[in-house]
Amino acid sequence: MDRDLLRQCLTYHGESLFNKLKCEQIENPDFQAVVSDLCKATCESKSDGQDSPLVEQFIARKADILFCPTWKTATHKEEEEQQQQEEEEEDAAEPYAIMPPMEIFMEASYEERRTMLYRDLEKGDILVGRINNIREYGFFLTLLCTAGGLRRDIEDLELSALCHIREVPSTGSHDDPLSYYQMGDFIRAAVKDIDRYQEKITVSLQQAALSPGLEHIKLGVFPREELPIHYSRSLRAAADSRETYECILKSCHGYHNPSVVEYLLEKVGVSDTQPPSMMRGLQSKLFHEEDFASAIRKRQSASWALKCVRAGVDHFKHGRHVEAMNEYNKALDIDTTNVEALVARGALYANKGSIMKAITDFELALENCPDHRNANKYLCQTLVERGKQLEEQEKLVTAEGLYRKALSLDESNPEAQEALHKITETIQVSIRLREEAVAKEQEKATSSQTSAEKLRKILKEEKRMKKKRKRSASSNPSSTASSRDSSPSSSSSSSDSSRRRSKKKKKRRKRGRNSASASKSVESRVRHDAPKRNSFDGGRYENRGREEVEEAKGEKDSRKGEDENVPGSGRKSEGAGNHTRQSSLTSVPEGSVKKDLPTNLLDIFNQIAQFKKGKGGGPRK
Amino acid sequence: MEGPSPSLAVLRDRPVWPAAGRRQSGGEAETDRDMKKHFRVCRFIMETGVKLGMRSVPVATACALYHRFFQRARLQAYEPYLVAMSCVYLAGKVEEQHTRTRDIINVSHRYFNSGSVTLECDKEFWDLRDSVVQCELLILRQLNFHVSFEHPHKYLLHYLMSVKSLVNRHAWSRTPVAETSWALLRDCYHGAMCIRHTPQHIAIATLHLALDSYGVELPVGEREWWQARCGAEVCVSVCVQVLCVDVTKADIDAVISDLLQLYDMEAKCI
Repeated sequence: MDRDLLRQCLTYHGESLFNKLKCEQIENPDFQAVVSDLCKATCESKSDGQDSPLVEQFIARKADILFCPTWKTATHKEEEEQQQQEEEEEDAAEPYAIMPPMEIFMEASYEERRTMLYRDLEKGDILVGRINNIREYGFFLTLLCTAGGLRRDIEDLELSALCHIREVPSTGSHDDPLSYYQMGDFIRAAVKDIDRYQEKITVSLQQAALSPGLEHIKLGVFPREELPIHYSRSLRAAADSRETYECILKSCHGYHNPSVVEYLLEKVGVSDTQPPSMMRGLQSKLFHEEDFASAIRKRQSASWALKCVRAGVDHFKHGRHVEAMNEYNKALDIDTTNVEALVARGALYANKGSIMKAITDFELALENCPDHRNANKYLCQTLVERGKQLEEQEKLVTAEGLYRKALSLDESNPEAQEALHKITETIQVSIRLREEAVAKEQEKATSSQTSAEKLRKILKEEKRMKKKRKRSASSNPSSTASSRDSSPSSSSSSSDSSRRRSKKKKKRRKRGRNSASASKSVESRVRHDAPKRNSFDGGRYENRGREEVEEAKGEKDSRKGEDENVPGSGRKSEGAGNHTRQSSLTSVPEGSVKKDLPTNLLDIFNQIAQFKKGKGGGPRK
Repeated sequence: MEGPSPSLAVLRDRPVWPAAGRRQSGGEAETDRDMKKHFRVCRFIMETGVKLGMRSVPVATACALYHRFFQRARLQAYEPYLVAMSCVYLAGKVEEQHTRTRDIINVSHRYFNSGSVTLECDKEFWDLRDSVVQCELLILRQLNFHVSFEHPHKYLLHYLMSVKSLVNRHAWSRTPVAETSWALLRDCYHGAMCIRHTPQHIAIATLHLALDSYGVELPVGEREWWQARCGAEVCVSVCVQVLCVDVTKADIDAVISDLLQLYDMEAKCI
């Protein structure tokens, strides 16, 4: 029991209430605990017994509810912050009728209002006033009204507040901040200090002086239109005595807001979903969760859906699949997450062959009820089915995933285990095969490289022999010289050009492929001109027959030269060289196109090369 | 607690037209037994309202409809619990918080047969639903289709806001005046007093009683037409006079005494 409240109550009511309390609350242990403190309070009571005995009886009887600490639903701090934050938006939107302060209607006395204000005003509250005096150390405000939560009528109290120059934020860098303000300006300021004994109020225009809930309110000068609504209404009320509270209330726009009750209820902190009551039978703790409408509806839906499912299963057993599906769908309309219906429908889908739909249904059912035996079993079986389907489609990895999932659901399923074994084997086999294929390719690559080297040797031999023949035929030294010149020049030019091209077109290629292509290109070179290389051939060579061989030799030289000159970046430049070899066989622009040859074409070339090698210099391409 | 007569569908056997309605007057001819019956039925409405998640104002409308209905109709002529269910249904429509008949029937069924299984979607269920819907039309006709009420709730909340600004904020937050006055206001609807007094008076009375219970002191003021009395009473009453011009202390006392009688009745009935 809230001790302070009880004390306050007893101070107000007096002895008679205390007696009644003792009488009524005799069984209440909480009351017994505080009763000793309350004796003192009662003695101090100033009440003179004006209260109706019935009321006192009521209070005494209901004291355990009234003074229960949990009776207050919203906490103080929450409430204040919530209230103050909404203040600004409220003034604009007016979700409820914002009334002028009640003191106006009550015509409370000057003294009363003054004491009330000094009692209730706190640091951080907002005051609205007009500047009546500007001095060099600050300015004085005559207070008009309060703002930001506290609503009091203070205008005729003729209070004055000082705002020191320190508390005025500077507008410019060097200007006197006070020059911004003029006599008669409306100012919104925050209370900085209140001296209740000397009745002095100091205010500040710094935002930091505001209390936490009011931080968003702008301090400083504001136009007349932004005066708080309750103030302007109070002016109206004061002017016209016929304007009663009720009159003004009904004329407010916010009063007619249809959701004003909900809004204000939230503002005062009372819950409408667990509403308070003083009746013993309506206390919220007496309500059971399962008696509430939503809970009953859920149970009822589940039961109705189950009926439909049973009917559906019956149809299914007799082979009437269409009716069964209808019943299941009906059940799911009634209760969308009914586990039995989902499992039954999933089974029906699986039977029909719509495996994916079946899986969806089973998974949904398992989300709601992870331990459902049938759902797990059926899902496992369906996953295995799906896995088999995927296997046929060659999607081995996905299938394996599904088998694993199926096994995780039901470890003892023999079919799933078997399938998983099989597929892991298949995957391993396929991996092995792939590895072998790769290895074979590499082998072939190396072997093809060795065959290329062999060819090189053969060609070198040929060249040497030809050179020897030429040297022996010394009757034509110029031609030899020219040929020698031409060959080195051609070789140099070709090597230059090829080196240039190699610089331009550097691309990493597989060794085997390059060597294969190199070997192939050399071969084609040596043997014949490929049809698409005609134009370039024509361009490059003056004399087909002889020059071809020369070129071949030259190329061989340049290649050798390249090989010798650039041993370090052997693979790359070789690649480049080979690439240029390839490109040299076609025109230069085509070379760039050649660079972008798709890899499967290159594969084809490789295969052809290998084939040719196998045949030992087979037919033309 | 008594339940309704065995089959709610028995209404069909009874006259649909309010034949005997007009001859009876409201309060005087009601016996004590009748009042207790009404109290229990209103308790049923309040509980159902909470279980359906209805807000305070629709529940108040439902109770008001019920009391208005039985002001002119005889309790023996109509099944009161069925009327109550239909009032709840109708009030949901009037106050724009629609409830489904299925939910109303479920909750009511459980209220009378606690711990039972839920109703099946069978003939009994559809009969019940038909009864509720037909009774709704009956109520409408009995009330001449005047089914919108002005409730004290709005007034009470605005009064609370005004009074809140009068007192010290810390004192206010310590004292659960809002909860108590709201609780008292809701409890008013157990009896026919809710339609006998004006909404402003009821709101003021509940606020007065709540402030009284906690011993909250409001500032003193004066009005020219106020006859001075002494003591603590003055401050509360003046503020009260301000909120509603024509209320007198007598009015407030009348409301409060009616309300307190209801609490006494609870002890007797339930």
